[in-house]
Amino acid sequence: MYRKAFALMALLVVAGLVLTACAPQTVTVTVPVKETVPVPVEKTVVVPQERATVRLSGWAANPQETALLESLLYRFSLENPDIIVKYEPITGDYWQAIKTLVGAGEEPDIYYMDIFQFPFFAKEGVLLPLDDLMAATGTSRDAFIPDLINAFTYEGETYGIPKDFNTLALFFNKDLFDQAGLAYPTDDWTWDDLKAAAQQLSQPDKNIYGMGVPADPGRFPIFVFQNGGRIMTEDFSDTLLDSPEVAEAARFYTGFYFDKSGALPSDVGEGWQGTAFGKGNFAMVYEGGWLIPYLNQQFPDLKYGAVLPPKGPKGYGNLIFTVAYVISKNSKNPEAAWKVIEFLTNEASQTTVLESGFALPSRASLINNPYFESHPESAAIFQGANGATPFMWGLYGSDVNEKMGQALERIYLEGQDPEASFQQAAQELREIMGK
Amino acid sequence: MFSQAKRRKLSEWFTAYVFLAPWFFILFVFVLFSIGWAFYLSFTDYNLFSPPKWVGLSQYIRVLRDRDFLQRALPNTLQYVAVVVPIQTFISLIIAFALDQNIRFRRFFRTAFYVPSVTSSVVISLIFVWLFSKVGIINQIFHLKIDWLNSPTYALPTIMMVNIWSTIGTMMLIFLAALQDIPLTLYEAAQIDGANRFQILRYVTIPALRPAIFFVVTMGVIGCFQVFDQIYVMTAGGPLGSTTTIAYLIYKWAFGSTNIQMGRASAVAFILSLMILVVVLIQRRIIEREE
Repeated sequence: MYRKAFALMALLVVAGLVLTACAPQTVTVTVPVKETVPVPVEKTVVVPQERATVRLSGWAANPQETALLESLLYRFSLENPDIIVKYEPITGDYWQAIKTLVGAGEEPDIYYMDIFQFPFFAKEGVLLPLDDLMAATGTSRDAFIPDLINAFTYEGETYGIPKDFNTLALFFNKDLFDQAGLAYPTDDWTWDDLKAAAQQLSQPDKNIYGMGVPADPGRFPIFVFQNGGRIMTEDFSDTLLDSPEVAEAARFYTGFYFDKSGALPSDVGEGWQGTAFGKGNFAMVYEGGWLIPYLNQQFPDLKYGAVLPPKGPKGYGNLIFTVAYVISKNSKNPEAAWKVIEFLTNEASQTTVLESGFALPSRASLINNPYFESHPESAAIFQGANGATPFMWGLYGSDVNEKMGQALERIYLEGQDPEASFQQAAQELREIMGK
Repeated sequence: MFSQAKRRKLSEWFTAYVFLAPWFFILFVFVLFSIGWAFYLSFTDYNLFSPPKWVGLSQYIRVLRDRDFLQRALPNTLQYVAVVVPIQTFISLIIAFALDQNIRFRRFFRTAFYVPSVTSSVVISLIFVWLFSKVGIINQIFHLKIDWLNSPTYALPTIMMVNIWSTIGTMMLIFLAALQDIPLTLYEAAQIDGANRFQILRYVTIPALRPAIFFVVTMGVIGCFQVFDQIYVMTAGGPLGSTTTIAYLIYKWAFGSTNIQMGRASAVAFILSLMILVVVLIQRRIIEREE
């Protein structure tokens, strides 16, 4: 019995050896001439040049975006027959998957890197600096929107080429504005205009609120910036959540909830304010470009517009959400990988990305693209990057987000004073950061 | 030289182990090695990217001083176990008694009560998110205005309800099987001795169910200490950490963070298994004493 098992195992091992031994090469073959005397003849078998394989991974946000990337990769394969790109999208928890892969040294050559996660990867030195590769092909950092490429720069070296980005814009429901007899928001609005409009738009008895004010660390910080504050110090070594600028911003932001000119998404039974906006429960929300395809698909009849976020006491402030392509330090074909990235972020590809309507391209030169004239909402989000701050709080980013969200929740749910609540958040955060 | 019999015995052993080999492979690689490796990691500082750095007991000390662990995860988990286990055991026992009687549509009820147990817990969680939303059906039926899952007071009890609702089916099934295993002769003997229905329940049925009760409570305790998926889907540990449990904290430190803390997560995992072990041992002691 066990002999058979051994025989089977031996067979498998041999099969493995045979299978791995097939590689194209120049070979000397013995060709029998006539029927009797074999004469050795040198014969060259034409084999294609060694093709480099590059693995590329990202999250699959939706089928359309995947199709867009696949079509770009197809175009790349026509121009570069010597490089095979294997696209391996990761479904499910992308960061859990990619971190485990990096830990095991099995990560793809190219993968998506969100700015929020970037500090950890940069500090651990698992990414390849791209400056030499960029210089070799004459790609300049200046071709990209400065805030984006700077965000992926660590200790003077470029580690990622931004593939697209988003900022927040003030989306407004035109019908609700018309019903209230109000003029639509403009790029020149201030906090006061916002507050006045929200109060006039709110009809709590009809489940309609002027503005969505979720306890969301991805929305609230723009009010801090507009109030001249910061979330973290310049070098991210300490938090500034206990500064008076933050407390004032929180007082203004949560004020919408307390005077019923704004509400949380859960107040109208939604998990996300984008849905509440689509259903007409919220007249205004701060969201990014991702809201546009969602609204077009789910709420095609909704009439809406988008403008730059209103200015605060200290002027303009916004968040930049951006994702880059990075190359793994373990990549065996960094030049080939760079060729892929260069293609995916060149002007032609980025124009395709822009025209698809899914994301905003990272190339500064595309500001004059005619697409923006016919799509003012996208233009507002593209222009929003001027003077905006990347959505990134350093190594402890997820803890900062959690504490910021909890500080807002304490104000909303327990009626705590904004100043005390954010002081508690800062104190808890410093405990985590080991201060 | 081996004798004929001895050789045959040896060969039988060998055959047996060849058949067991696949299972042993899985046991050693995916269970014992993983546990051993996690135990080692709990004494290190490890972020997946850099090699583990030995730090002795400091991860354990750090955990036992951590605000999220002490003030949220630990009390939430204990409260969860203390509420859910007795209620789910009690309700499933009652239902099992009822369905053991000769009532109409018995088969239908058995299936109906068991359906939640074969449904994905993620799907169940999503359905309950809708039911318990502020404008959801529960609030409309009872004319309430509670934002169940966004209130630090109600979020954990809501998740408890979901878990009780979805687990009683399996437990009912175990009790039902145990009830039908009790020999009718015992009941007849008790009736002849003049026992009334309550006495039969107290002195015949419940003692005969003791092994089933021990099993159900043990599985309940283990499941409740490890509660994760409902929380991950319904509240992500919020609001204000009111639904952060130990298992959720492990996930948060191991994967849900920009700054991975594998060592600390492993330390919590071992603290959790120690707690489960202690509780199960105490529980077994109690059941044994009753016998």
